[in-house]
Amino acid sequence: MAAVVGSEVVLRTEDLGFSYTPGHYAVRHLDLEMHRGEVLGLLGRNGAGKTTTVRLLTTLIPPTEGTAYVLGEDLRKAGRALRSRMGVVLQSDSLDFVTVERNLVLYAFLWGVPRETAKARAEEMLELFELGHVRRRKPWAISGGERRRFQVARELMHDMDLLFLDEPTVGLDAVARRRILRYLKERARGGLSIVFTTHILHEADALCDRIAVLHQGQLLAVDTADALKRRYGGSRELRVTFAQALPLALGRSFEEGLKEKGADPLPTHDPPTAEKSVFAFRSPRPEELLPWIVQWGVAQSHEIEELSLTEPTLEGAFLGMVGADEEGESEGPPGSAAPPSARPGGFGWGRK
Amino acid sequence: MTLPPVLRLVVRNFASNFDAISVAVRFGQPAVTIVVLGTMFSAYISGQVTGTSSYTAFLVPGMIAFQMVSGGVVSGNLFWLDRRWAMVEQIFSGPFLRSEYLAGLVLTTLLFSMLGVGLMILVAVPLIGLPALSPLALASVLATVGLGGIFFAGLLIALGTRLRSANAYFSIQSFLQLFLIFLSTVYYPVRAGKTPWLLADVVQANPLSFAADAIRAAFSGTLNGTVALGLGVLGLLAALSFGAAVWGFRTMNLGPIQ
Repeated sequence: MAAVVGSEVVLRTEDLGFSYTPGHYAVRHLDLEMHRGEVLGLLGRNGAGKTTTVRLLTTLIPPTEGTAYVLGEDLRKAGRALRSRMGVVLQSDSLDFVTVERNLVLYAFLWGVPRETAKARAEEMLELFELGHVRRRKPWAISGGERRRFQVARELMHDMDLLFLDEPTVGLDAVARRRILRYLKERARGGLSIVFTTHILHEADALCDRIAVLHQGQLLAVDTADALKRRYGGSRELRVTFAQALPLALGRSFEEGLKEKGADPLPTHDPPTAEKSVFAFRSPRPEELLPWIVQWGVAQSHEIEELSLTEPTLEGAFLGMVGADEEGESEGPPGSAAPPSARPGGFGWGRK
Repeated sequence: MTLPPVLRLVVRNFASNFDAISVAVRFGQPAVTIVVLGTMFSAYISGQVTGTSSYTAFLVPGMIAFQMVSGGVVSGNLFWLDRRWAMVEQIFSGPFLRSEYLAGLVLTTLLFSMLGVGLMILVAVPLIGLPALSPLALASVLATVGLGGIFFAGLLIALGTRLRSANAYFSIQSFLQLFLIFLSTVYYPVRAGKTPWLLADVVQANPLSFAADAIRAAFSGTLNGTVALGLGVLGLLAALSFGAAVWGFRTMNLGPIQ
């Protein structure tokens, strides 16, 4: 997937930060770089700073620290010219009090899209996002999933170089989600750069060229999904199933043999049984254990019915990075992310 | 041809926020007031009391002045609903300046108010005849309503930038609207010795009274001190409330409201 990404840098942040009140940072020390045609995922727990990052990069709030260049423009000085080249699907639904179809055309009008183009594009979007059946209904009278699809469809009514999507797939069914992700991937192949926040990790895994993990307002890691899994996903799991249950002593001998090779046995029966046929181990390089296991089975005349290897997931990697805080250890560094309720983010009048 | 951003916003304001029913109510209510209240009260309130040819002739300028409140309410509510439905944030993330959004609201107020003025005059013609307004008098009427509209719109927008609950916003808006109209000279004249002094002072200090009196003076063909005073007071108030709206925009939290 990375092969489609161009070399032109469309977004670069250096030590970017935003504090709602002195000492309470929603985002801090953010260093990111993104290239044309890249899909960059922003992952993080609630309140990690994803939405604040999107709001910063779309000029909705001014940075309080650091610098950022978006589409070649200094974020602190950028204004209409920059925003004219960006699209934003905000986390909260936004709508006008007209029908879905009229909303699309009206939004295109706001962006200066010629009327005929807007009408044709509205038809395309209504079909693409399966909104044709609700075209004459008001957006608040359609389902949550339809409304979310409508939000994405509306933003795609105008041309752009960089698209920010803040949790665009919340409430979507699997079919709709897949359809939208496929479309976004196509657009990215066509050169559109996309910043995408989500809590659905397999979605980020499927769509994003690289993933940035934010935690308590700070960037923990940014890399491809595979690299994150390798680095933070922990050991892989090897599961050995014998055709017949091994006697207790033999089972112990098997486990001891693998332990000596660095494998970490995992419980497979609940409650534990004396004789068992399934053994599981965690190991950073389980493939290196396979010859020994096969030889052991042949030597002991115990047929191995199945050998399976579980790869680390993005969820495992994500939990590996931020999971420790789930147990209430989330004090974080002094002056880190503000509580979600503390959001008095003002902005300057007369910003360009 | 692409329209300038402010005009695109104005078109959007009208297209997205004015359905037939709400427009009918906003314009219909003062029009019906002129017809019904004017006809009913003309039998009881003589022109001697009001200083005009009839009570209807007294009421019409009052209802024209009231268009400043209507125009202000339209923009105030529009802004509130844009905030409530996250369109402020959406528009601000698009190819617009924040000042253009505010200018779009002001222009919407002015257009709506002027439309109201025209309609009120149309409704009044069969009842009191065509008012003999000189171009200057007509200009002063429009300027009075326009400045009054900016004043009330600015006030409501400034409130809208601060309040985070629909209940609070609409309660205050209704109260202000009622306060302005009933404690003004829109419906009845204030006469020395006839109106309790405290009430008379409050009524005379009401911006809507300045507007109504100025428009009445213009309607009577006398562009006197009352018109100048009305324009001056409303101009000052418009500047103050617009300043408050700008300040509100500068410091507004764009987060969700209910």
